[in-house]
Amino acid sequence: MSLEELFKEIIIEHYQHPKNHGHIEHPDARSEGSNPLCGDEIQMELLFEGDRIKDVMFTGNGCSISQSAASLMTEAIKGRTVAEARRLMEEYKNMLQGNDYDAGMLGDLEALSDVKKFPARVKCASLSMAVLDQALQQKK
Amino acid sequence: MDIEKIRKDFPILSRIVRDRPLVYLDNAATTQKPSAVIEAISGLYRNYNANVHRGVYLLAEEATQAYEDSREAVRRFINAGSTEEVVFTRNATEALNLVAYTWADANIRAGDEIIVTIMEHHSNYVPWFRLARRKGAVIKIVPSRKDGELDMDAFGSMLSDRTKLVGIAHMSNVFGTINPVREMVSLAHTRGAAVVVDGAQSAPHMKIDVRGMDCDFFALSGHKMLGPAGIGVLYAKSSYLKSMEPFMSGGEMILRVTLEDVVYNDLPWKFEAGTPNYEGAIGLKAAIEYLEALGMDTVEAYERELTEHALRSMKTVPDIFLYGPSDPAKKGGIIAFNIKGVHSHDIGTILDSEGIAIRAGHHCAQPLMIDCGVSAMARASFYFYNTEQEIDMLVKALKKAKEMFGHVA
Repeated sequence: MSLEELFKEIIIEHYQHPKNHGHIEHPDARSEGSNPLCGDEIQMELLFEGDRIKDVMFTGNGCSISQSAASLMTEAIKGRTVAEARRLMEEYKNMLQGNDYDAGMLGDLEALSDVKKFPARVKCASLSMAVLDQALQQKK
Repeated sequence: MDIEKIRKDFPILSRIVRDRPLVYLDNAATTQKPSAVIEAISGLYRNYNANVHRGVYLLAEEATQAYEDSREAVRRFINAGSTEEVVFTRNATEALNLVAYTWADANIRAGDEIIVTIMEHHSNYVPWFRLARRKGAVIKIVPSRKDGELDMDAFGSMLSDRTKLVGIAHMSNVFGTINPVREMVSLAHTRGAAVVVDGAQSAPHMKIDVRGMDCDFFALSGHKMLGPAGIGVLYAKSSYLKSMEPFMSGGEMILRVTLEDVVYNDLPWKFEAGTPNYEGAIGLKAAIEYLEALGMDTVEAYERELTEHALRSMKTVPDIFLYGPSDPAKKGGIIAFNIKGVHSHDIGTILDSEGIAIRAGHHCAQPLMIDCGVSAMARASFYFYNTEQEIDMLVKALKKAKEMFGHVA
């Protein structure tokens, strides 16, 4: 277990320069969540076009893991269908739980695969998935 | 103080974590236990375990004696007038809730005012918040000044004849500030208000004199002062305890029960329903004896040197911000901080990889976090078994954390 496995360059890059950070003017869905014990916060806004996630933006504050995960997650689902986003979340969950997962589907999100070696930090990496899940449930 | 000798009394301090010697700097959360405490607890179970205040056989007499001896040790340690005034609880939180659900519940009415400080741990805020909601009472908050000390002018002007209760953290679990409780008690008493002091952070680190302080209630937690988890103390003036209804009810807290009537037990047992945590009390007595042998003045003076060293050396970490008083004479060995560009959880993980244990998060003091404009802080907190070398290792690891995250404008 080394720190370099957890704090990969791509994670620090997304933490310091998050993608899709901000707001959507008229979102179709909006949700937020926090880890009460550590104070990590994520808010997410989604815009749909048919079955597809046309746009997604997030705001929040917290540690490098929670914020980079949100940035990477929004990158991964933008332009995908809701069904694809759900499958991706399932694979992401598998990865964090130490199960087999589809690396091809996760893409850059795989940078977070070593978080599972730091049990205290798994909830940081899971927060954006929980928030996204809530937002997707708002899809009519 | 012979630190090397003292450290040998604490088995856990020789543990290797992450391939490095443990550097334990989370003492405000809980403290490590000396062999004397561990052996006092195992001694009970090996030699004289029996329920207290019940049996008529030798083991029960011995266990009861040990339990009550612990009460006397606590009395001496905090300089209470009588063991009648020493109630065992689960922890400081339960002690504070006991006051909220008994004395405060019976005496605070709609429109009455409760004053607490911005530095309170949730345990000395949430019970009063809930009470105020139940009763329609008003909570007022004493702010802190820029230097991390309480704004005593604000406190003075908040006090009025409507003030019924004042809650004060003796030592802030975030800033480390030692608040002027004696002065605050005397001001509050001129208005007839009762004063509850949260001593969870102060009792482990400095001499406590509840009679000198003249507070009406004082709470402490055993595990923060070398004792086991699950044992705490409520000190209350006997004049208050006599007028108070019991908190929990059941066995132990009664003298006589018939189908028509219940007569409560004498003080302090009236407030100790059910089989108490006598194991915890026996461990706490060993902890108190250990602290008394060192001398609380010695403990305080040594920790002040450590804090002075830490304040000086932590300042050399680039982009660090230290919260609370910068004058080591005004605070205990608790230093909360943030490093620009490195979140406190990331600091915690990086330090952990070096074998260094600190706390990161909101420290159960969210109103103070909001007041400081942050959602989390990192916190290093010391005890007498820590050394300047350990603080130097902390500083070195903090510089490493800052480097890992690079320079952030």
